[in-house]
This record gives sequence, C-alpha cells and structure tokens, in this order.
Amino acid sequence: MQTANIAVITRDTILAIGLKHLMRNLFNIKVSVYDSVEESQITELANNDLLITDSDGFSANSGFFIPRRSRTLIITSSEICDDSNGMLLNRYADEASLISQLTKAVDQSRDTPNTVNDLSQREIDVLSQVASGYTNKEIADNLNISVNTVLTHRKNITAKLGIKSVSGLSVYAMMNGYINSTLH
Amino acid sequence: MALVTPETKLCDVIIEEPSVITVINRFGIALGVGDKSVRTICRQKDIDTNFFLTILNAYIYESFFPENGFDSFGAQEIIDYLKKTNQSYLRYQLPNIERHFKALIDHSDKNNNLPLLLNLYNEVKEEITKRIDNDNNHWFAEILRHEKDVNPGNLTIKASDADSTTDSIEDKLSDLKNMFVIHLRGDYDRNLCHAVLFAIISLEKDIRQNNRIRNHILYPLAMALKKASSNN
Repeated sequence: MQTANIAVITRDTILAIGLKHLMRNLFNIKVSVYDSVEESQITELANNDLLITDSDGFSANSGFFIPRRSRTLIITSSEICDDSNGMLLNRYADEASLISQLTKAVDQSRDTPNTVNDLSQREIDVLSQVASGYTNKEIADNLNISVNTVLTHRKNITAKLGIKSVSGLSVYAMMNGYINSTLH
Repeated sequence: MALVTPETKLCDVIIEEPSVITVINRFGIALGVGDKSVRTICRQKDIDTNFFLTILNAYIYESFFPENGFDSFGAQEIIDYLKKTNQSYLRYQLPNIERHFKALIDHSDKNNNLPLLLNLYNEVKEEITKRIDNDNNHWFAEILRHEKDVNPGNLTIKASDADSTTDSIEDKLSDLKNMFVIHLRGDYDRNLCHAVLFAIISLEKDIRQNNRIRNHILYPLAMALKKASSNN
C-alpha cells in the first residue's frame, strides 16, 4: 500500500496537534501542518492526497478547496451535509466513529492517488473560461496568453480528462465547482 | 472478419459483429435467421443484395467504399434505410436510454453527479432530434428531388457534420461515455448504470457507423446528382 501525503490546514493548534499525533499513531503517516493557504504554497499543498481542514479554514480558502473537494476532509460541528462531493467529519462524534471515518478518508486517499485528473492551475483557468462559453480568442485576451497557448492547454485538458466537446467540458467544470452550475 | 459477400452466412456476421442486429432490423430481418446465406435471405425478403451488402460492409468496416458503384440502387433506397435508422433512434434507442437513466437516478442516492450527466445526455438528444428534422425537411427531400430531376432548384447538400463548427454528436456521445467511465462519483445502482452505459455505447457506435453511410455513400451520390443536374 502506498503512503498517502496528508496536509492539515487549520489555525486551530489543538486540532492540528491532535490530528498530527492521531495520524502518526494510527497510520504511521507524518502530516504537514499549515495555518493557512499561502499563494507560494499552493503547488506544494496541491500535491497532497488528502487535505484536512476545519470549516473556518475551508471558507477562508474556498478558492483552493472547492476544486479539490473530492480529496478534502472538513472537520465540522454538525453532520448536516449539503455538499455531495466533500467529506465531512463531525468533531463531536464519539471516538470510535470518528476514528473509523478518518480511517475511511485515509484509505480512500490511498486508493485514488492524485494523478490523472489533476489539471494545472492554468488549465483550470482555461477550462472554466471554455465552460463559460468564451472563444479561444477571448480566452487568450482574458488570460493574457496567445491563442496557440490556449489551444495547447485545451489539447492537454482533453487528453487528461477524455472530454472533447464544450458541453462535456462544461459538465465536468460544474461537477468540480470550477464554474457556477446556475450558468447553464 | 472478411468482407461480407452474397455467400456469407448471415448468422456468422451477426455472431461476429452483434451491433449489425439493428441494421438487419431496419431491413425487416428479425433474429432467427437460420444458417442461410445473405443471397438467400435477400431473395426471400425481396431486398437488393448489392444494396444490403453495401450498407452492411460500410457499417462494419471503417474504410469500406463501394467499388461497383451504385448501379442497382439509388438515393431512394439509402434514404429509406437512413429514415428507418432515424426512426429507430427516436422510437427505441433514445427513449430506452432515457428510461434507464431516470430509473438510475431514482434508484441511486443523491451523492453522485448523475443529474449533470443527464443534462449532457439531454443536450445530445436534442441535437440528434434536430438533425433528424433537418434530414426529413431538407437533406433527404432535396436529394430525392434531384434524383427525380423534377425542377431540382438549388442543391445545398452538405456532408452531415463535415463543415459543422459546433461539436459533433459523435464527440458528445463519446464524452458522455468517458464521463461514466472516468469521472463517475459516489454511490449508484450498478446494474442500472451498466444498462445506461451499454445503451449509450451502442448508440454511439450506431451513429458513428451510420455517419459513414451518410458521408461515404449518400454524400458522393448526392454530389454526383448535383453535377449531373448542373450539366444539363
């Protein structure tokens, strides 16, 4: 079984320490702890297989977490879940169910290593523009890149996702929260 | 498999390439074909053997192009076949996918992206319906008018998707298939999901193969008619 890279993003020190020890004792995994998502750390953070944060951390950095919510575990104070893709962990749950949910999340991140689907930030930018209906020329102007670069990005996006048509890309973008689903 | 000839047993063709079941259906041939040759079956059903073989081979082989021309059949036969194809999409294949898709969503919990995939399917369906309307109201009608050569008027025939700037129906169906295969998430009813996916895959295949008949057989024929009428 491969080891998973796990990052904890929270300003709550008690939570961070708790998770750090829990992960080491239970799974023998060393987690990296961040108190916030800094611009300079995005690439480093994005390389993790599992991101654990609390609701404050999530809302403060939603731009970072939403595209990655399929591998984000959010520590909340309730079990109400309106996000179909995100994983939630209730901090008031009893010890046994808390640990079993944590184990599930860690196992899942081991099973689905972050590879195929991961688009670069620039590809995500291009994808959301394509999905919002902009032409290649408009995308080039909006992002200050050449039309050729836009075409290269689009080719890579299609190769990574297996999706060619604009409609297909829009659906994928909605699925992953890259664009607002009310657009369509 | 070698090209289908008049001597080939039809049952061998079906067993080798089951997707032709929809094709033979459009010729009024039902399963239970026995071990008769294509020639015998065509004679019994009063089907032009050459035409039947052209359609069957074009359907099975990507690079097939009719060598001995269109001597024994004309645009009318091809259009009749394509009309039956369109009808089978509207009456059976599309409603079938839709029925299974809705059941799939009803029988799965909400933690998945199936409703978004249904949106994509609905978009494809709308485009297929639009293309069929265009076939019936313009494309087929114009070609037939030219074949009968009664006051043909201007022919504005185009190969179906060749010059289209929007994404083709084939591309969208292939995307839909890949969405299921690569990007499906959450819990769902496995059995129904497979039914939907298989139905989508066979529709995609059928559309791709019939596009070859449109683009490699009907289109050259239409161009020849166009040339003939402009020479007159």
